[in-house]
Amino acid sequence: MERSFIMRNPSVLWFLLALAVFTLGVTILSEAFGIGGLSTSFIKTLGKTLCLCLIAVAMDVVWGYCGILSLGHFAFFGLGGYAIGMWLMYARTEEIVVNSLNEAAIPPTQQEIIDGIGTQIFGVVGSSEFPLIWAFSHSLGLQLLMVVLVPGLLALVFGWLAFRSRVTGVYLSILTQAMTLALALYLFQNDSGLRGNNGLSGLQNIPGLDHLGQATISMWFFWASAIALGAGYVLFAWVTSGKMGSVIRGIRDDESRVRFLGYHVESYKLFVFTLTAVVAGIAGALYYPQAGIINPAEIAPIASIYLAVWVAIGGRGRLYGAVIGAAFVSLLSSWFTGGGAPSIPLGFYTIQWTDWWLVLLGVSFVAVTLFFPKGIGGLFDYLVRKDP
Amino acid sequence: MRFLALLFAAAISLGVSGAQAQPTDLKAVLEVHAEQIERPKRLQVGEVVNDLIALGTPEVTEFLQRWQNRELHMREADGQFFYVGEGTPIELIDVVSGQVVGTAQDSELKQLRPNAGVRRVLGSALVQFQLSDPNILRRVAAVDSIARRPQADQLAPLLASIPDEPDAALKERKERLAGLLTARFDETTDARVAAIEALSGELSLDVQAVMNQILATRDQVAVALPEDENIAEIYEVGADLGTVEAYAQLVSAELAPAVIPNDAIRNALAANIDGGFVGGVPVAQLNTDAARATAYTALAEAGTVPPLVTDADISSAVQSHVFYAIYTEPDVAVTDAANDALNEITTRVGMNQALDLTLDGLSLASIYFLAAIGLAITFGVMGVINMAHGEFIMMGAYTGYVVQLFIPDYTLSILVALPLAFAITFGAGVAMERLVIRWLYHRPLETLLATFGISIALQQLAKNIFGTQARPLTSPGWLDGAWVMNDVVSISYIRIAIFILALIFLGLLLFILNKTRLGLEVRAVTQNPGMAASMGINPDRINMLTFGLGSGIAGIAGVAIGLYAKVTSEMGADYIVQSFMTVVVGGVGNVWGTLAGASLIGFLQKGIEWFNPANTLAAQTYMILFIILFIQFRPKGIVALKGRAAGD
Repeated sequence: MERSFIMRNPSVLWFLLALAVFTLGVTILSEAFGIGGLSTSFIKTLGKTLCLCLIAVAMDVVWGYCGILSLGHFAFFGLGGYAIGMWLMYARTEEIVVNSLNEAAIPPTQQEIIDGIGTQIFGVVGSSEFPLIWAFSHSLGLQLLMVVLVPGLLALVFGWLAFRSRVTGVYLSILTQAMTLALALYLFQNDSGLRGNNGLSGLQNIPGLDHLGQATISMWFFWASAIALGAGYVLFAWVTSGKMGSVIRGIRDDESRVRFLGYHVESYKLFVFTLTAVVAGIAGALYYPQAGIINPAEIAPIASIYLAVWVAIGGRGRLYGAVIGAAFVSLLSSWFTGGGAPSIPLGFYTIQWTDWWLVLLGVSFVAVTLFFPKGIGGLFDYLVRKDP
Repeated sequence: MRFLALLFAAAISLGVSGAQAQPTDLKAVLEVHAEQIERPKRLQVGEVVNDLIALGTPEVTEFLQRWQNRELHMREADGQFFYVGEGTPIELIDVVSGQVVGTAQDSELKQLRPNAGVRRVLGSALVQFQLSDPNILRRVAAVDSIARRPQADQLAPLLASIPDEPDAALKERKERLAGLLTARFDETTDARVAAIEALSGELSLDVQAVMNQILATRDQVAVALPEDENIAEIYEVGADLGTVEAYAQLVSAELAPAVIPNDAIRNALAANIDGGFVGGVPVAQLNTDAARATAYTALAEAGTVPPLVTDADISSAVQSHVFYAIYTEPDVAVTDAANDALNEITTRVGMNQALDLTLDGLSLASIYFLAAIGLAITFGVMGVINMAHGEFIMMGAYTGYVVQLFIPDYTLSILVALPLAFAITFGAGVAMERLVIRWLYHRPLETLLATFGISIALQQLAKNIFGTQARPLTSPGWLDGAWVMNDVVSISYIRIAIFILALIFLGLLLFILNKTRLGLEVRAVTQNPGMAASMGINPDRINMLTFGLGSGIAGIAGVAIGLYAKVTSEMGADYIVQSFMTVVVGGVGNVWGTLAGASLIGFLQKGIEWFNPANTLAAQTYMILFIILFIQFRPKGIVALKGRAAGD
């Protein structure tokens, strides 16, 4: 069975090989474990890009394979980040508070420690009480469970409501966008319990691992992201191949016909929607400790639309296309907006790419949609000379 | 030199006193009270003021005012009082005649600076003069000043000035103000109750303030309820008042010892560490509240710290007292009347707030209608979602801004901007339809993404051209201000104008869609493009025109929105999600549907904001959640197309 799965999907092997070579190369060039050609911040950028690739793969499955243009997957990504961020922030603050309280003459009580942590974390929003949603934040295990459960349950409930009432097409896209907007607006409030506009910060400091230094920790997260991407790729390759893959693609091409053939379309869609949301949550949980900060602006609807843009540019309906699109556009975007691209003097006007990059992205996106619907991944068809 | 100057000044002063050989009454009063005027005390100055008032001459008003404003000066040499004029040496002005009567050096004069208490006494004395001053502006100012800071002693002069008031409007104001003052300060209960009942028909803020002042309460605590107090409310501990707050009241009434806070316990323990032990408990074990309490009790028994107040102490202390609020107003009849009046006022205010909310909702609904109707038309006819619709709104608003740069007359510029915005966004919409959208008719999801690409490009372009700061789009002067019905209900003229604009477009669209050839063709294409094409309608042309029309209306909506909101490159994005919601809730391809959707969303948003006014973010969140749930029950919107046209 395993053999035939690989046989049917030779691209999985090629992808895993490329990912392994890339990871090995980065490791050799890293400061912590190799010759030190790459800075720690660049390793973090690469690690974050791998996480973005993972959520792009998830997006590709739900959109490119199942035909659901979800404009809400970045919300699940953010929820995963918030879930892990709560533990990171709690545990890290606990270390600091316990250390400072232990210097006092009288040893602290449990309540004093918790009050101290509360004041530290929620002082910025004028509170010191722990909201109910932080009930599990002291435990890494439970919070890791939250990384999976919170996006999963939200996707399950939302998807069940939406698919049950046969909301499809652009209606569904707008509904998912509304969900994302509602979530972002909710988190922007100071009394949401997640520090409102300030978000969660200091996530790059992993509790108990301070002695290792950021160079080492960044490599750990890079490996974790690479492993997660590899595992996610194999998982989705397995989901989209075989009989189930055929049904999912059938739903994309003509939902009614699949329903008339006797398949329970809603269950398949709900399964795909929820599974990809869970993977998005995991990707977020790996991304934000590398980014160091998460705030509600991260999950604004525009982020989810960009996700769709990456997948479209990379090439829908092929998993490696999503990876290429996410890596290519996000790295290119940080190169252009970071001032890396040289300005173009036109004599009467100088094109500053920090100002014009979004114009270029928008226009090239229209061009890709119009002229290269298969995206960058479509180029492989010419190389391999395989029928699409 | 100095000697000469002194001599000169002395000569002048001699001359002055010579010139005024017969002192007027004011002069006489001033002479009698010279010391009180020079160094007035708040408690004694009343005597002087009474004597001055008794004179009742016009110059007394002037004198009191100047004195209050610290403009009165005394010549040190002879204790005479003057006002001073310009120049060096300073001109001396006589307090009676108002004429310049001499000059003096700065050093010879002493400026009189009565303190705040004295000035208040002077001010209230002045009021009665000002209330019957021949100059109406002074009288209005006096009424204003009473309305700002009402005081008991103003009531009598105010009432006295009413019968002689010549100006009808001011007389009415005075009567109203007298009513407010009577309700608060009159000496007889009957007069106050009557005044309060007369006020219960009003809903203005100052009447509410008066009622609330009469009904001001003070929390009290006692062992038993007192008989002679006007009790407002008796608190039930646990229901109306928490045990902790109740005990805090006991502490502040000095009926119970203060609770020792945890910090104080810890500090006390830390201060009494004795060889690794506190009160017999090892320091290392003091990490629970129970252990700390044990150690602290041991210290308290030794007498080194005040005893601990336990929970049992607190609850028994709280149970043995009654907690209640009394009115600061002792008269029961007055507070009862005020309570009744306030209830009536609250009901009326509530009704007026409902009316105000309706107006707000109507105004928001008309904005959403304008923003969404273009989207609804294109979505209905072509099944295409235009993510760049918000950017067309932005283009319309910037068109208005640019027009105002060239045409400084705001009325004219708005009249030019409206059709120009329509023309520009119509052109942009047609161009977009020809270049991009018509290639994607069979791929609706990709239209969404392609138009999104156009949206971010347009937004960034606008940012590059106009900068990131907000640009003003000024409304013409006749749209400034608001239509104020009363203290509660008001609506700005701009919002009324937008409402009228929305009505015009509603009518215009209904006319175009139902009465013209174009409308017929548009409806045909909406219902069944294939059939329409076989009947000789060119769907391509219809699509192009519809898209242009939808975009053009977005441009006009942009001018309207720009009039009351800031014009920025991101303004379109602020409206796009609400516009989508409006279309989705209302139902596609139907003007009435959009109207219903816009009304629902507008009223809903205002309604939720009313429940939770401090938190507009929460209001938007709940609204979106409501819409998500609403879609469950009417997936095709409020007004759904019937039959085969509904399609999928």
